[in-house]
Amino acid sequence: MRLSDRKKKIRIGTIVNYCLLALLAFVCLYPFLNVLAYSVSGYNAVLSGRVTFYPIDFTLDAYKEILKRATIWQAMKTTIEITLLGTALSLVLTTVAAYGLSIEDLPGRRIMSGLILFTMYFGGGMIPTFLVVKGVGLYDKLGALFIPQAVSVFNFIVMRTFFKELPDSLEDAARIDGASYMQVLLKIVLPLSVPILATIGLFYAVGYWNSYFEALIYIQDVNKYTLQLRLRSLLFGAELSYNADDIGANTVMTQSLKMATVAVSTIPILVVYPWLQKYFVKGVMIGSVKG
Amino acid sequence: MEGKRKKEEPRRPRTSVKKTVVKVWNYKWVYLMLLPVLAYYAVFRYAPMYGITIAFKDYNIFKGVFESPWVGFDVFKKIFANKNFWSAIRNTFLLNLVTLAVSFPLTIIVSLMLNEIAGVAFKKVTQSILYLPHFISWVVVAGIATNLFALQDGTINMLLKGLGLQEVPFLSNEGWWIFTYVVCNVWKEIGWGTIIYLAALTGVDESLYEAAYLDGASRFQRLIYITLPSIKSVIVTMLILNISKMMSIGLDAPLLLGNTRVMGVSEVISTYTYRIGIQKTQYSESTAIGLFQSVVNIVILLAADKFAKLIGEDGII
Repeated sequence: MRLSDRKKKIRIGTIVNYCLLALLAFVCLYPFLNVLAYSVSGYNAVLSGRVTFYPIDFTLDAYKEILKRATIWQAMKTTIEITLLGTALSLVLTTVAAYGLSIEDLPGRRIMSGLILFTMYFGGGMIPTFLVVKGVGLYDKLGALFIPQAVSVFNFIVMRTFFKELPDSLEDAARIDGASYMQVLLKIVLPLSVPILATIGLFYAVGYWNSYFEALIYIQDVNKYTLQLRLRSLLFGAELSYNADDIGANTVMTQSLKMATVAVSTIPILVVYPWLQKYFVKGVMIGSVKG
Repeated sequence: MEGKRKKEEPRRPRTSVKKTVVKVWNYKWVYLMLLPVLAYYAVFRYAPMYGITIAFKDYNIFKGVFESPWVGFDVFKKIFANKNFWSAIRNTFLLNLVTLAVSFPLTIIVSLMLNEIAGVAFKKVTQSILYLPHFISWVVVAGIATNLFALQDGTINMLLKGLGLQEVPFLSNEGWWIFTYVVCNVWKEIGWGTIIYLAALTGVDESLYEAAYLDGASRFQRLIYITLPSIKSVIVTMLILNISKMMSIGLDAPLLLGNTRVMGVSEVISTYTYRIGIQKTQYSESTAIGLFQSVVNIVILLAADKFAKLIGEDGII
């Protein structure tokens, strides 16, 4: 094969590759565009099924309509509350666990780490956990949505790996100067760990924002519904309703209204996504190397 | 801890005990710091493990976990005799297997394609778009899927109708529902899955490519003879890891995408435990199913780990 032939072949392969990936990216993006298009298109355009991925007869009526609904505001508020409280609690617990158990000669370190890691492979399951949550008085309380799942073993491993990799010399120097472990954590370790704290914090926040199953089983009071639960009721109405409580939310909605609600509940994720993306690759890599 | 120490210094057991005590005392603030975490694990992770005992009891809501009478394996006999249970197990394997069969090779192919891209900006934008669905909640995914795949007014069926074609029951026919389930899963996780392969691909020795290029190997040949063998161990590990999860399935996707018409394939172990446990309050039965699943999971995991080590790869535990 002559060199020029080969070059030509390479170029075609490259172009095909670029095109296929661009197509794949479009397929990945299409559902989002579809949602947005539906949410801002006119009633008739939606009804006749002409909407695909760009708006027809642009209108913001659907958004105006959902912002008038008190139930959406209430669900938004609840979700923001549990996301903030949950992320704070999760970060504190994960950080102290990871820091404490990253100290190499802490007596009992192996046993305690082992007890935490074991829960990755074995657990009580749905009903025993449900009974414990009920038993400690969290049933139908917002606390049930973040306290029982406050620490993720995966995030613990990521953070502990990070702490272990910090240079010991800094901590040792502070210890020799008489600083306590608490002071070392607050004044030396944490300032060096801002990127990992941001990553893990975002992981937790997205998890809480998207969590739906906990709310489904622990929350009875319609006034404590989270955004995802409310969204499910609005989207699927009675057809998918397994709880008798959903009947109140079974309103007839047009597709535009549904899709506008989907958009509103997804926008916060899209807002934090650029920050999330900056760090998560590293987080995934550390997490996949087991502790 | 103590036993280990004694072995190291057999002649001075006393000093070693004293030493340990002093050491523990020195770390008192660290232990105090760890206390809330340990309390969290005791209450929300280990106390439920005790609750598993109700799988061997006839749970009575008034008597509670401790006082309910023991019944041995009666609960298990009951669930094993129920054909819905076996159907849930079959569906769990079926959905996991089909999803794996589609997404596993596809993820590797997309990783290889992304790896070939030289343009930094194009690569970055594509990756950003591909990773995004991973962060979207299943409620939203199910909502979008319904909007796209619904029989009456879904975007795709409207399009098919417009072209004069037959509508497709994506959500209400069992076969098509599996297709929709797999599409949603692949859409959500394919980009995320490439991260691990792309990281492995950056570790491939550049000099191998240069040598192959000088020897006149085509791009495709380089892919087959250099790139793939270089990431073989990651591929094998990921495959084993995925196979070890065959028996566990998330609850969100089948619960939210499923409906009464496709229950024959959408009812998996997690949705089944939810339905009989939370909705029908058959706590003992639901717990027994959960325990059965956990035990099978651990057996598969250990077997997969053994197998991985047997073929010379790193273990997965």
